[in-house]
Amino acid sequence: MTLTQKQNPSPGRRVLLFDGDCAVCRTIAAWVIRASTPQPGGSTLIVRPIGHDPQALRALNLSLDIWDAYATIHLVMPDGSMKLGGEAVAEVFRNLPSTRWFAWIFAVRVSGHRPFQAVLDFAYTILADVRPLLGCESCGSKNPYVTKAKGFVDFFTAPRVPGGHHSRRSS
Amino acid sequence: MNISSAADSLPIHDVVKGTFASLVLGGSGPIVVEFMSYGCSHCRTLEPVIERVAEGLRSRETFYRVNVGMDRELADRYGITGTPTFVMFSDAREVGRVVGPRPEASSLSRAVTQPFER
Repeated sequence: MTLTQKQNPSPGRRVLLFDGDCAVCRTIAAWVIRASTPQPGGSTLIVRPIGHDPQALRALNLSLDIWDAYATIHLVMPDGSMKLGGEAVAEVFRNLPSTRWFAWIFAVRVSGHRPFQAVLDFAYTILADVRPLLGCESCGSKNPYVTKAKGFVDFFTAPRVPGGHHSRRSS
Repeated sequence: MNISSAADSLPIHDVVKGTFASLVLGGSGPIVVEFMSYGCSHCRTLEPVIERVAEGLRSRETFYRVNVGMDRELADRYGITGTPTFVMFSDAREVGRVVGPRPEASSLSRAVTQPFER
């Protein structure tokens, strides 16, 4: 048994970490929990918030860095290794009864590349970037294009206050 | 080098609700407290900059870090509405604060030293 294998406190289970301060992340985590619950023989997925204690997170896996965990989705595998980003999402799909029927597609190789995994990686990156638009109180607006998009959305969705910056002029 | 001396050599020290009164309010000299959270990407961007600035100012100012995710009460007490927020203390009194400074050593250094020069 390797050192990393000793670190996973739930042998045989995959531990999915999510940002508990982010509304859209909580919604996705709740869906994963619901989708994984009815598995025969018990769920192979444990879904838990990252939390705020770097030491507590390291107890799960010594190489887990809390900054990294917040920046990208992490899935701690039963052998102690970790899958990140789109790879983690694909692994979650493989472990849910309702999604595993199509999850094989992410392993398909064409000329040495995995095109469907690449699409999933890209989709994950976009979702991670637009979280502030979807309701993420903790992650801020880190990318300029998201900031611009948020300003655009806010312009049309913010409450209209007469005389305020966002008030529409009556013609 | 043992663990405590390794911690002492760090330019920024962690402070929690239980130690805030003795270390920050009871501390001597200029004290800078960073209220941060690990979920905040700007805090991550600033982290290496703060360490550099704190190292450079080590002889003049003491730097502490409050993890607001663990210490909501402290954050509420000081009216922290966003991270990172730097609050400067002198003789147990707040003398200045800066919210979300630019991740540049020169501007951050200026922001955390100016309040003590008034």
